[in-house]
Order: sequence, then structure tokens, then C-alpha cells
Amino acid sequence: METVLEVKDLCKKYDHFALDHISFQLPKGMIMGLIGENGAGKTTTIKAILDIIQSYQGEVKIFGLHHQKEEQQIKEKIGVVLDEMFFPEILTPNDIDFSMKDIYKNWDTKLFYDYLKTFSILPNKPIKTLSKGMRKKLEIVTALAHHPQLFILDEPTSGLDPVARAEVLEIFQNLLDKEECSILLSSHMTTDLEQIADYITFIHQGKILLSKTTTELLDQYGIAKCTKEEFQNIQPTDYLQYKKTKYAYEVLVENKKAFKEKYAIAVVDKMTLDELMLFMIKGEKK
Amino acid sequence: MIGLIKKDLAMIKSNWKLVGMLLVIYTVMGIFGEIDISFLLPFISVMIMISTFSYDSYNHWDAYVVSFPHGRENSVRAKYIATILLILGTSFLTTLLSFMISYIHTGMIPYEQIFYSLLGTLFGTLFVLSLMYPIIYKFGIEKARIGIFIIVFGIVALGSFMAQYLDLSFLAKSLSFLENYFVLIFISIMILMSYVSYKISERIMRKKEF
Repeated sequence: METVLEVKDLCKKYDHFALDHISFQLPKGMIMGLIGENGAGKTTTIKAILDIIQSYQGEVKIFGLHHQKEEQQIKEKIGVVLDEMFFPEILTPNDIDFSMKDIYKNWDTKLFYDYLKTFSILPNKPIKTLSKGMRKKLEIVTALAHHPQLFILDEPTSGLDPVARAEVLEIFQNLLDKEECSILLSSHMTTDLEQIADYITFIHQGKILLSKTTTELLDQYGIAKCTKEEFQNIQPTDYLQYKKTKYAYEVLVENKKAFKEKYAIAVVDKMTLDELMLFMIKGEKK
Repeated sequence: MIGLIKKDLAMIKSNWKLVGMLLVIYTVMGIFGEIDISFLLPFISVMIMISTFSYDSYNHWDAYVVSFPHGRENSVRAKYIATILLILGTSFLTTLLSFMISYIHTGMIPYEQIFYSLLGTLFGTLFVLSLMYPIIYKFGIEKARIGIFIIVFGIVALGSFMAQYLDLSFLAKSLSFLENYFVLIFISIMILMSYVSYKISERIMRKKEF
């Protein structure tokens, strides 16, 4: 499968934080969700890919090209939404179109205005009069309007109401069906990622804890609920983390089918990405 | 880069009313008074452009601009070109008005006087641009304001000190042979300082993290 984005051994040191050998690959036509708690390194990873931060070690290849040497060629084909609002608030959507048509060769004014209409954004209203959610929508619309082949989106649905979130996700899903673009998407909305992401990469304290297909994670991983006695019989190699609740033990297992076969524990539930994060960050190991 | 120039010009469009009002004030003061404020509008246009740095910084535009093709280099180039276009545009307008006002006053146009006034205005505005922009790119607009205040205060203090305590007439005499090339030298200095300033800003921006 063709790789659109390849990150290899990305390291970046700050005084109190470091990205530690981040590596992953995003195949063409796929969505990868980056998850992790605040300050885990998701935004730093995205900023390094986009060259917004510098002085890092490692290699980033986009469309098979070196992301700094072939910068112009690459960035023409990337649509970006960053975690913080970035349009000067005295501009209007009309001004955005007025400027962007001379920034991106493939800028599509008609598509831009069509999306504005879809999201009910008035083109002549200054951005400062828009709500936080509407601003986010405008940023997404702008990222969409030059027909990028790769989207790099840092928290694109934060601040959006459930209806708008669903609309945005539907647009991205349709794009994937039609145009074979790829998406790297960082989000705290793990339910969104469960719906649309093909791969999940979990970053914690600057390191990748796991990077797997969403199906693999949601179908194979599970949470076993057991008594103290049952828990004491489980070998540490057979589970990832555990949590002690008021009445029982909850154990995160990598392969629920194999676990069920080995141990006579009746309840092994499906796991959500939220639970995975909680276990991996807050859980314990014998 | 043209897109980024357009973005900067779009950002200052709300100031066109102020520019128009200043042109009217300048015309009225020129016709009815003796004070020459032709330098004011180009200087204010530089200040208006500097205000765009505040909006960019407040709204995290600089990080976003890096995601554009050649974003780092183009954003600096666009800022300089937009500012210079504005300086030239407002200088052109005030020069035209100066012609008109002089003609109304005296029935003739003092081309030479207006030309030197224009040259002085261009030098002053480009000096402010050349000094401020690298400092803004390096330290950000908030810190740069304090830095600029210190630098301008230092230059004025140094100039006053030199004028009061040093006899620089020998310098004027020894440079008198350059008198015929004054305009050429002046223009060359303007171009050189703007170019050096641009190169410094570009270098700062190329290494900057957001």
C-alpha cells in the first residue's frame, strides 16, 4: 500500500518535555487518529511534520518527498487545521477567499462558497463576530477548498456541537470515498475516531504507546472484570494494565478471545478508546 | 506571496477611512495654514501596517502561515512589500496634494522643495520599517514596542548629545565633495537599509518556532 506520510524517529527536546522517537506511517486513502492526553505530544508531532517547530531529529516524508527540501510541492497538497484559531479576526470569509486564491494553485472559490453555504457561514461577516464553532468550521472549509490530498488536522472538531461534528466527519468521509485523500487527525473526541479512523496512534509523554488499526483495537482488546482471586491467578504477561474498583478488578487485555479461553472469566467487555486511554495512563501493572 | 500581500491589505481596509480623513485634514491645513504635515500620512501608514503584526500574533497566524507553500519566506516578503506599497501610495497622494496646495497658495509649484520633502519622508518611514520589522520578528510585537522606544530614545539622546558637545563641522566639510551625489546616496542608503532589514527578518523567520 502506498504511504502518504512517513514519520521516522522524530525526536524533539524541550526543558520539561521530549518527543521520543515517534514513528508511524499513514497509508494512502486512510485516516489515522492521534490520541493522548493534553501535553502528550500530539500537537508537537503535527507541528514538526508541518515544520512549524524546528531543531528536531528524525525524518518526515510526505508523498515520498522530504518535507523540507520539497516543501512547496508538498504544501500545495496539504490541508491544515491547527488546534488554535488562526485567522486574524478582522478578516471576513470573503477576505480569506481573496487571499487564498493567490496562495494555493488549486484554490477553488466555488467550492469554498459552497461549503460556506453548507455550514451557514456568512461570507461578509468579520471573523470576530463568529462563534468559536463557526470559526472552526471556517478553518475546515478553508482546508478543504484547495483539493488537498492530505489533511493534517489538530483537534478540528473541538468546539463544534454534535450536529456540526457529524457534518464535518461526513464531509471528510465522503472525500475519502471520492478522492482518495488521507487524513492525520488529532482529537480528544475518541468516539469520532472510533467512527472514522482506520488507524489509531496513541501518544503518551512523548512516546508512542501503540499504533494499530482501529478494528484490531476495538475488536481484539477488551476489559475483563474479575474478582480479587481471579485477578491474582492472571499472569502479568496476559494483560496490559489493571484498575482496582470498589468491588472488583478491571483488566485491560490485548486479545480478549485468547484471554477468555485461557481464564474462566465470564465477562470480557468490548473496550472504547476512552477506556483504553484511561487504562494505559491511569492503570497499574503487577 | 501576492495572496499574503492581499491578506495584509485586507486587514487594514478598516483604516482607509482614517487615511481619507487625514488627507482631508492635510489639504485643509495646507490651504488655510502654514504647517506642512505631508510626512504624517506615510508614517501613519507604517504604524497601521505594524498593527497587523498584533493581529497576526494574537490570532496565531504565523504558525498557520508556515503550512503554506514557502510560507515563512513569503510572509516576510509580503509584509515588507505591502508596507512599502503603502508608503509609496500615501507618499504619492500627499505629493500630489502638495503640488495642488502650493499652486493654490503661490500660483507655482516648488518641485525641488516638494521632492526633498518626499525624499525625507521616504527615508524616515523606511528607517522606521527597517529598524522595527527585524525586532518585531525576533521578539514579537509586544516586546518590540519597548525595544523600539529604547532605541528611538537612545538615538535622539545620542543625537542631542553630539549636536551639543561635539563639533562635527569637519565632517560636513570633508564630505562636501559628495554634495552632487546627495540624492543618489540617499536613495542608495534607503534601498540598502530596507534590503538588509528584510534579509535579517527573513533569516529570523526561517529559524523561528511557533
